[in-house]
Amino acid sequence: MNGLMIKALAFAAVLIIATLAVVNSMNIDLSDSINMITMIGAIAIAVLTAGVSVKYINQMKTDTASGELAEENWDGIGEYKNELPSGWAFSFLGTMIWGLWYWFIGYPLNAFSQIGQYNEEVLEYNAKFDSVYKNADEATLQAMGESLFLVKCAPCHGETGDGLSGKAHDFTTRMSKDQVLYVIANGSDQLGYPMGAMPAGMASGDDAEAIATFIAGGMKGEAPVAFAACTSCHGEDGKGMGGMAPNIAEYDDLIISKILEHGKKGKLGSMPAFKTMLTPVQIKSLSAYIKTLK
Amino acid sequence: MFHWLEKNPFFFSVGVFIVIAFAGIIEILPNFAEASRPVKGLKPYTVLQLAGKEVYKKDNCLSCHSQMIRPFKSETDRYGQYSLSGEYAYDRPFLWGSKRTGPDLHRVGNYRTTDWHENHMWDPKSVVPDSIMPAYKHHFTNIADIETAYAEAVTVKTVFNTPYDVEGGTKLGTWEEAQKMALEEAKLVTADMKNKDVKDAVESGNIPEIVALIAYLNRLK
Repeated sequence: MNGLMIKALAFAAVLIIATLAVVNSMNIDLSDSINMITMIGAIAIAVLTAGVSVKYINQMKTDTASGELAEENWDGIGEYKNELPSGWAFSFLGTMIWGLWYWFIGYPLNAFSQIGQYNEEVLEYNAKFDSVYKNADEATLQAMGESLFLVKCAPCHGETGDGLSGKAHDFTTRMSKDQVLYVIANGSDQLGYPMGAMPAGMASGDDAEAIATFIAGGMKGEAPVAFAACTSCHGEDGKGMGGMAPNIAEYDDLIISKILEHGKKGKLGSMPAFKTMLTPVQIKSLSAYIKTLK
Repeated sequence: MFHWLEKNPFFFSVGVFIVIAFAGIIEILPNFAEASRPVKGLKPYTVLQLAGKEVYKKDNCLSCHSQMIRPFKSETDRYGQYSLSGEYAYDRPFLWGSKRTGPDLHRVGNYRTTDWHENHMWDPKSVVPDSIMPAYKHHFTNIADIETAYAEAVTVKTVFNTPYDVEGGTKLGTWEEAQKMALEEAKLVTADMKNKDVKDAVESGNIPEIVALIAYLNRLK
């Protein structure tokens, strides 16, 4: 046991005592395994530091150069030919094996994909949405429809659905007189109903006026004689004969979903199709909400 | 075998660089080359749309609006399909932006219309009551710089080989032809607009900035 060894042991002892003192003064709970492992780690570092220092300082003091020199030297500084340490050799082999795994399996099959993550998120969300809202009751649909309306529809139709003074369709009534007159004058073939295109000019002059007033007034009371031109497609009650033609008396699920699917160009301007941006349940909820607008 | 490398610092550095960059080179470059190609069906901007893009840049729409829909459910619900890098192939420069004081605009052409933009640019609060966006009334009187837009198109056609005047691309033509086409395109936009002054200006051959801007915004799909 030489002086160096004693100094090293003393140094390690000081570190260990310091560690214990800190543990003690901070009331650290050693029954917590993490704290215990951390303390053992700190002591191990103290011991290793002392041991390794002793080994190499001793070696520097006593070692003499020996062995076979490599051929080249750098400005007079030579290098011995040493065996590769086994630790290094195994690490190198391990790296090669990992490299092969990464090349053939890791990168091509297990690489992170942002889009993959997105697809999983969507699938998970849709499954959850379906399980909660598949058989939603009317009140839930109306609430969903209202929040959807505020995000998707309100920028054009207004937060109350009133169409912002004629900038877009007003959902508080079915149709305005001007809108009815426009459709009568121009016909319509945009929504893909089984009855097909409505020709332009089915009525004109006073007849058209009478029809427009009747429809815009909510189809109350006696229908004007001219309304007969409309009934063959839209029905006596204007409800579209069970989905054959648009319901002009009130909003129903079909007309809302047809307009969302096809978009619409009319008297007030054009509306783009929203089909790809909404799910069937969302479309149902929108029509549930729109029906409540007064 | 490699001893000469150890005596040549320059080539040694090159070797080290290649070894370290190798993974990056094989993982990043092929993906990058693939993704930066134009998506199928993408056409270069028309001269009018480019003029609108200039307005967009000039009035710094970029500092409040992004043009980049990230692949998150919350974003695709609101704005539509997430953005692909190939969609920006003819954007020089691209206008991704990094600030969303207002909403993303990368697919605004899918869900807003000419007349909506007209109302909105004139008075944003008339359509979105809580909007903090300023009105851009000067767009209705300033005349769009079609000449610069044409010069830009010619430049990217010549320098970057952007497919103008080719099969399946966008027609550019001579300056006279381009002027005529821009005016025709502008008339299609004003057909859906209500502002009388703007309509009159286009009729007389001047294209106000609002028309170019709407043509550009409608193109963002």
